[in-house]
Amino acid sequence: MEGNENKIIELINVSKSFENTDVIDNVNLYIRKGEFVTLLGPSGCGKTTTLRMIAGFDLPTSGQILLNNKDISQLPPNKRPINTVFQRYALFPHLNIFDNIAFGLKLKKVTNTYINDKTGETYEKQEKLTKSEIEQKVKKALALVDLEGFEKRNVATLSGGQQQRVAIARAIVNEPEILLLDEPLGALDLKMRKEMQLELKEMHQKLGLTFIYVTHDQEEALTMSDTIVVMADGQIQQIGKPTDIYNEPANAFVADFIGESNIFNATYEGDRKVRFCGKVFACEDDFAKNEPVDVVVRPEDIEMVAPDQGMLTGTVISVVFKGIHYQIIVKVGKNEIEIQNTQSRKVGEQIGMNIYPDGIHVMKKEFTSNVFNGVITKHNTVEFGDGEFACDVTKLYPGSHLDEEGYLITAKGNKLDLTGVEVTAEVGLNDIKMSDDPDEGNVRGEIISLVYIGDHYRYTVRTENEEDYVFACDDLWNENDKVSLIIPADKIRLTLKKQEDA
Amino acid sequence: MKFHFSRKQLCIPYAVFLVCFVILPMLLIVFYAFTAENETGNLTFSFNNFIGFFSSPSKWQTLGVSVTISLIATFFCVLIAYPLSYILARSGWKKSNVLLTLFILPMWLNFVLRITALRELLDMIGFLGNYDYVNTIIGMVYDFLPFMILPIYTQLLKLDKTLLEASKDLGAGAFTTFTKVTLPLSMPGVYSGITMVFVPSMTNYVVSETLGNSNITILGKLIEEYFSTYANWHMGSMISIILLVIIFLSMLATGGFKNDNENSRGSNLW
Repeated sequence: MEGNENKIIELINVSKSFENTDVIDNVNLYIRKGEFVTLLGPSGCGKTTTLRMIAGFDLPTSGQILLNNKDISQLPPNKRPINTVFQRYALFPHLNIFDNIAFGLKLKKVTNTYINDKTGETYEKQEKLTKSEIEQKVKKALALVDLEGFEKRNVATLSGGQQQRVAIARAIVNEPEILLLDEPLGALDLKMRKEMQLELKEMHQKLGLTFIYVTHDQEEALTMSDTIVVMADGQIQQIGKPTDIYNEPANAFVADFIGESNIFNATYEGDRKVRFCGKVFACEDDFAKNEPVDVVVRPEDIEMVAPDQGMLTGTVISVVFKGIHYQIIVKVGKNEIEIQNTQSRKVGEQIGMNIYPDGIHVMKKEFTSNVFNGVITKHNTVEFGDGEFACDVTKLYPGSHLDEEGYLITAKGNKLDLTGVEVTAEVGLNDIKMSDDPDEGNVRGEIISLVYIGDHYRYTVRTENEEDYVFACDDLWNENDKVSLIIPADKIRLTLKKQEDA
Repeated sequence: MKFHFSRKQLCIPYAVFLVCFVILPMLLIVFYAFTAENETGNLTFSFNNFIGFFSSPSKWQTLGVSVTISLIATFFCVLIAYPLSYILARSGWKKSNVLLTLFILPMWLNFVLRITALRELLDMIGFLGNYDYVNTIIGMVYDFLPFMILPIYTQLLKLDKTLLEASKDLGAGAFTTFTKVTLPLSMPGVYSGITMVFVPSMTNYVVSETLGNSNITILGKLIEEYFSTYANWHMGSMISIILLVIIFLSMLATGGFKNDNENSRGSNLW
């Protein structure tokens, strides 16, 4: 264990479920003292729940939370030396600014050491802070957030930005070991947000506190953090420095979520060569030969050249001016490739493109097929993944057929009743179709994520009982769309769990 | 001339209503209160009613009894309604609406019927005729409790839960959070409830007559007596005005006229 004494807080195998829904799924994470850590992810990824467990508002269903190596998992929030800046500030409307900030100080007890005059012995006493101590601390906190002289003001008379500053002052005045910030800038306008980002960063350096910051804004995360924890679907996808997360995303989700990116379906050809868009490119990563992989290329890493000089050629289909650069979309075969460049091109123009090894990041494919545990329910019907599907069970036994009563007759002529037999069902990424008619498919669910991969989208659909289906689809649907899934019988590959005598 | 419709014209019916049913009656009451019949039967301006009320020990006593009964009834209403509303608003229990409706349900029954039923009940346990004041207060609390529960419940329900989390986050335990955050923020509901219970308790003589076995006279009863029994509209009107002033002062004291953000958001139900 390296740097154990540096870890201020550590989450070990932490899971959290609400009413049988897993919100956090076995998260392991440690944060070093003095670090600025950002939990980043789309809404519903579990970042706020993680923060609330550190604060103590939610208790983990299982796992441990260690603060300075002591288990605080079951401690109520008022017993933790951690303070929170809430999303909507949560200032007390019945108290003025001074009383809001002094709220925690008035409850705080400090240990003072005294010397007994007669015996000369020292003794300790738990005491509340004096009035003047509180006044001094509040004044200092207000100065830190640039709100000197606001003591007597009413909360309602403050602007959003000012309320935000009071919320920060109210938290840091207690000198917590960790400051938690739950999307604190979400309600501010863009300009204000940018200013506050820098101020928070400055405050972090000045105070030397550990900051844990929650946001869904990737730019905010890249700007402010020492370390970013990318979360999706209750799990940590990647932990790393902002540059690492941007340049070396762990998977297609991270690449898609952080910054603009082109993601391609690719095959690793071996010997640091990877094939995508019908061409072979040199790369810097090592994978097994012929392994299907995902490749991410950032739009600024694509060089535009004359059509005959490029590794790829394509037709410009759209050009948008973005201020600093142009966003140019080029069609190469079936793939659409995004380029960012300070130079413009004309729509309809043929261009050549070069991608160099340091601009190509090869990632392991997380899903190559959907695998479910299933049970044969009736003749030719299998239940798996929260649905019931028609399949061809005769494929389980070569040469077998079904008799008119629905019993399976093996090649040797044995009669088998397959009801209740456990099987493994596998469905390929390209074998599932979506429908918005809930009754058309065999299983219903909600789209929980979609990632654009070169020429198609990769969807993840989750059923009510948390079974996930991953598949490719050319059309664009929306997150949270309710869909039903159609899987043709001949696309479901069944294998017996236990090899029985046939 | 062409008729121009404007939004202002929409308020004409309300203006007429206000004049007919609020302003004119008020003026009439004031007129009666400050006039008296002289020997010839003519009406003259006089302060006699005012002086008469405050120089009569029996009227002072009635005033004292009314205020005392109202204060005690209001106190018990708060005592019962606050914990109940707190439990209902906080339980997170899906059925809490049903429970709330059960407490509000008596409001939908005929008032006289309810009081008569209560009278029978008190008679059965032997209270009727023996504890007139206790019975009257029981009746008032029973009758006005829903008016205390509703505003407190509404106020507690809309209390921002993150404020409670903020309080705990800053080191406050459950009790401190209650006294420093929940209680002060639910006070508008309590004030609203107090005005809705205290005021009718002063005047609702049906309760005191029925349950107090006609042995208790409150201000409402006194007014009724002057109008019907003694046919002295002048004194009756004067007592009404004195009552109005008392109510006005009590509302001023509980902050019922405060028009800050909290109140304008509908925390006061009246």
